[in-house]
Amino acid sequence: MNYIVKMWLGLCLCLFIGKQVVAQSDSTHFYVSQVLNPSNDSARTRAIKRLVLMRDPLTFPVLGAINDKKIYMLNGKPVTTGEPEELGEGSEVFPLYYLFPENKPVLEADGKPKKVTLETLKKVDVSRSDRLALNLILPYLNLANPEPEKRIIAYGQLLTSSDDSKIKILTEALKLENNKEAQTAGKEILFQLKLNEAVSETEAKAYIDSLDSNWGENVTIVLKEYSASGKVAGAKKYASEKVEALEGLQSRIEKAQNLFSGISLGSILILIALGLAIVYGLAGIINMAHGEFLMIGAYTTFCVQSLFIDTLGVKSDMFFFVSLPVSFIVAGIFGLVLEKLVVRHLYSRPLESLLATWGVSLIMVQTARSIFGDLTAVKAPSFLAGGWQVMPHLILPYNRLFIIVLTIVVVSLTYLMLYRSRLGIQIRAVTQNRSMSACLGVETRKVDAITFFLGSGLAGLAGCAMTLIGNVVPDMGQTYIVDSFLVVVTGGVGKIAGAILSGLGIGFLTKVLESFYEAVYGKVLILALIVVFLQFKPRGLFPDKGRIAED
Amino acid sequence: MEKTKDFRLYGAFIVLFLVLLPLGNLFGIVSNNTISLWGRYFCFAIVALGVDLIWGYTGILSMCQAFFFCLGGYSVAMHIVMKGATASGSDGTSIPDFMVWNQVESLPFFWAPFQSFGLAMILGLLIPAVFAFVFGYFIFRSRIKGVYMAIITQALALAMWLLFLRNETMLGGTNGLTDFKSLLGFSLASPNVKLGLYLLSLSGLCGTYFLSKKLVDSKFGKVLQAIRDSESRTSYTAYRILDYKLAIFIVGALLAAFAGMLYAPQTGIITPGRMDVRASVEMVMWVALGGRGKLKGAILGALIVNFLYSICTSLFPDSWLFILGFLFVITVLYFDKGFLGMIEIIGGKFRRKQITEKVAGHQVVES
Repeated sequence: MNYIVKMWLGLCLCLFIGKQVVAQSDSTHFYVSQVLNPSNDSARTRAIKRLVLMRDPLTFPVLGAINDKKIYMLNGKPVTTGEPEELGEGSEVFPLYYLFPENKPVLEADGKPKKVTLETLKKVDVSRSDRLALNLILPYLNLANPEPEKRIIAYGQLLTSSDDSKIKILTEALKLENNKEAQTAGKEILFQLKLNEAVSETEAKAYIDSLDSNWGENVTIVLKEYSASGKVAGAKKYASEKVEALEGLQSRIEKAQNLFSGISLGSILILIALGLAIVYGLAGIINMAHGEFLMIGAYTTFCVQSLFIDTLGVKSDMFFFVSLPVSFIVAGIFGLVLEKLVVRHLYSRPLESLLATWGVSLIMVQTARSIFGDLTAVKAPSFLAGGWQVMPHLILPYNRLFIIVLTIVVVSLTYLMLYRSRLGIQIRAVTQNRSMSACLGVETRKVDAITFFLGSGLAGLAGCAMTLIGNVVPDMGQTYIVDSFLVVVTGGVGKIAGAILSGLGIGFLTKVLESFYEAVYGKVLILALIVVFLQFKPRGLFPDKGRIAED
Repeated sequence: MEKTKDFRLYGAFIVLFLVLLPLGNLFGIVSNNTISLWGRYFCFAIVALGVDLIWGYTGILSMCQAFFFCLGGYSVAMHIVMKGATASGSDGTSIPDFMVWNQVESLPFFWAPFQSFGLAMILGLLIPAVFAFVFGYFIFRSRIKGVYMAIITQALALAMWLLFLRNETMLGGTNGLTDFKSLLGFSLASPNVKLGLYLLSLSGLCGTYFLSKKLVDSKFGKVLQAIRDSESRTSYTAYRILDYKLAIFIVGALLAAFAGMLYAPQTGIITPGRMDVRASVEMVMWVALGGRGKLKGAILGALIVNFLYSICTSLFPDSWLFILGFLFVITVLYFDKGFLGMIEIIGGKFRRKQITEKVAGHQVVES
C-alpha cells in the first residue's frame, strides 16, 4: 500500500521537475546562444555565470567543452571533438559530437560518423576568466562527457561530493543517459545516495530493492557497507539478506562462465589434437611441430588482414572469412613440405620423429620471429565483438562462441571425411594395417601425404580461430602442444571420439580446477589425474581392440 | 686395439682439461670465464650421462631431466641463499632477501633444513630420487612407454616449471634464486674457488662416467639393453622390467640432480627457465647429437653442443636456433649414431682405405 503511494508521489515529483525543466530550457537556450554568439563581451560572462547557477545537465556538454577548450562551431551548432585518429603523415582526423540541444555524434549523410581535421573547424574562443567561472560546477561537467566511461567515473565522483543538490542533478543527468552500462552505474550511485539518506525502514527497503534489481557492478559492496553501517536498523538486516542472495547468484554465474570457458578451451584443444591424433594413428608420427602449424595459420590470418586493409584498402570484416580457408591451405601446404622433406623418412619411428620435428619446430619459430617480430595482433572482426548476454552479468563472448561452432563444424566434417568417403576408408585401412592395405592396392604414401596435409590444415584453422582470442606470437603453438598431446594420450591413438571426449574433459577440468585452485595447481592436478587415469586405461579412452603384438 | 684407443682418448681428455686448462688459468692465459664455462659444460655432460643411461641404454625417452637437474640446483642455491641472508623474520630466524621483498614474515617450513650444508646435500639428492620413484612407479606400472612416456614426462616438466614460476611456492618465482655469496665459507666470486669448482665438476664427470661404464658393462646393464631391444621378450624371460626401469630412472634423476648441485654455485643463479620443456628436450638433443647408446657420445654431445652454443650466441645471436634445429633434423635423419657415429664412419673409411692400400702393396710384392 505504502509502496503504491510512494510511486505516485515519485511520479508527481517527476512530472513537476519535468515541467520546471521545460520552463527552464527556454532560458537555457537563450543563455547558450549568448555564450556562443555574445552580443557583447560582458553578455558572455553573464550568460556563463547564469548557466553555472542553473546547473541544467542539458548545458553540461557545452560547458564541459568550453572548459576543455575544445568547442567549435559547425553549421551554427556547437560541436566538440572526440579521440583523434591517425591518418598517416602526421595528420589527424577527429570525430565530432553535437553539444546542444542534444548530445550526439555528428553523422554524414550515409550514417557514418563525420570525421574532419582541426583546420576545417571554427573555434569558439572563451576567455580564461570566463572559464574560471566554471570551477564551481567542475565535478558535474563530466556527467555529460561524450564518452560513457568518463560519465561513469563522473557518477562515481558524486558519491563523495558534499553538494546538496547532487541527487537532483544526478537524476536529471540520468534522464539524458543513453548508454545502458552507464545508466546502470549511474542509477546505482543514485539509489545508494538515496538509501544513505533514507530515514524510514520501508523507504530504505525500497531503495535496497531498487539497487538489487538494478544489479550494478558494486551492488554487493554497497549493500554490505549498508548492512554494517546503515542508519535504519530493520533495513540493515534486509540488506545483508540481499547480499547473501546476490553472492549466491554470482557464484552460480561464475560457475556457468567457467563451464563455458572450459568448453571453449576444450574446443581449441580438440581442433589441435584432432590432426595430431589422426596422423599419429596413421603413421606413428609424433609431430612436435604441430603447434607451429597453428602459428602459421595465425600468421596467415594476420597477412590476409594486412593484405585486405593496407594493400587493397578493403575495410570490412570479409578478410576473416577469406583467411579461414586460406590458413587451412597454407598450413596444409607447409605440412606437405615437411612430410616430403623430413617426416617421410621417419614413418613408424615415433621417438625419432618426435626429436626431428622438435628441431623443425625450433627452426619454424625462429623463422617466424625473424620475419614478423615478437608480437602482432589480428583485429577481431567487429561482428564478433561483444557477447551474447544470457542474463545480466552472464555474457558469453561471441568470439568464443564462434570457436565452439567452428569446432563443431570441423569435427563433423572430419567425421564425414573419415567414415563416409573413399579417402576416409583408405585412411582407416592404413591405420589398421599398413602392409595389408598396400597389398590391396591402397597407395599408402599418397594417403600419408594427404592425411598430413589435412592434419596440418586443421591446426592452421585452429590458429586462425586463435587470433580471435589472443595475440599472434611466434611460440604460440608451444603453449598448447603439450596439452594437446595429453589429449591424444588420454583419448587413445587415432580415435576422433577419444580426441573429442578427452579434449572437452581436459579443457573443462582445467577451468574448473583453476576456479577452485590457482591456475598452476590446476595444471599439476590435471597431470596427476591423467597419470591415475592411465593406471586403469593405459591405452587411452578408446583403445584398439584385439591383440596387437608388441615388438 | 679398442682398449688402447680408449686409453689414448682418456689421456687426451685428461691432459687437456685437467692439466692444460687449469695451468693456463693459473698463468693467466685462460680466463676465469672460460674455466667456469667449461665447469658448467661438465655438469651438463653429467646430465647427459643420465639421459643416455635412461634413453640410450634402456629406451625410455624421459623429457623431464631438466626438472631433476633444477631440483638439485635449487637445493644448493637454497642453502647458499640461506647462509647469505641478512634480514630476519618476525620469529627471529634469518630469512632470504627476496622473501623480504615479497612480504614474507617467517621462514617457510621447507626452507628450514637447508640451513645445514649436509642436509641440503642429502635433500638435493633425496628429493629427486623420491620424486622419480613415485612418478616412475606409477608410469612404469601402467606400462606407459615410448611416445606416451615422452609426452607424460614433458607434461610433468611443464607443470613443474609453471609451479616454480609462482611466487607462492616461495622459491623466488620467475627471478629464481640468485645473489650467491659464499659456500662453506669460500667466496664464490674468487677465481680460486671457481677453479676448485671446475676441478670438482671434472672429477664428478670422470667419477660418474666410470661408475656408469661399470653399470652398463655389468649384468644389470645388459638387462637394460635387452629391455631397450625388446621389452616383451625380456619380460618373458622372467625379468621384472618394472624394477629395472625404475632403478635406471632413479639413477638418471640422481645424476641430473648431482649435476644441478655442481651447476648452481658456478652460474650464480638458478631460475625456472632452466627447467622448462625446451631445456629438457635440449638435454635429450645433446645425447642424440653426440651418439646415443654410447656414454662417450653423451659426454661429447653435451660438450660440443654447449660449446657451439657459446660460440654461436656471441657470433650470430639470432641464428643459434636455426643451427640447432638443422643439426638436429639432419642428425636424426641421416646420422642415427650422432657425432660419434660420424667419426667412426669417417675413421672406418680411412682405415679401410689403408688396409686396401696395404693389401694392394702386398699383392704387388707377391706378384
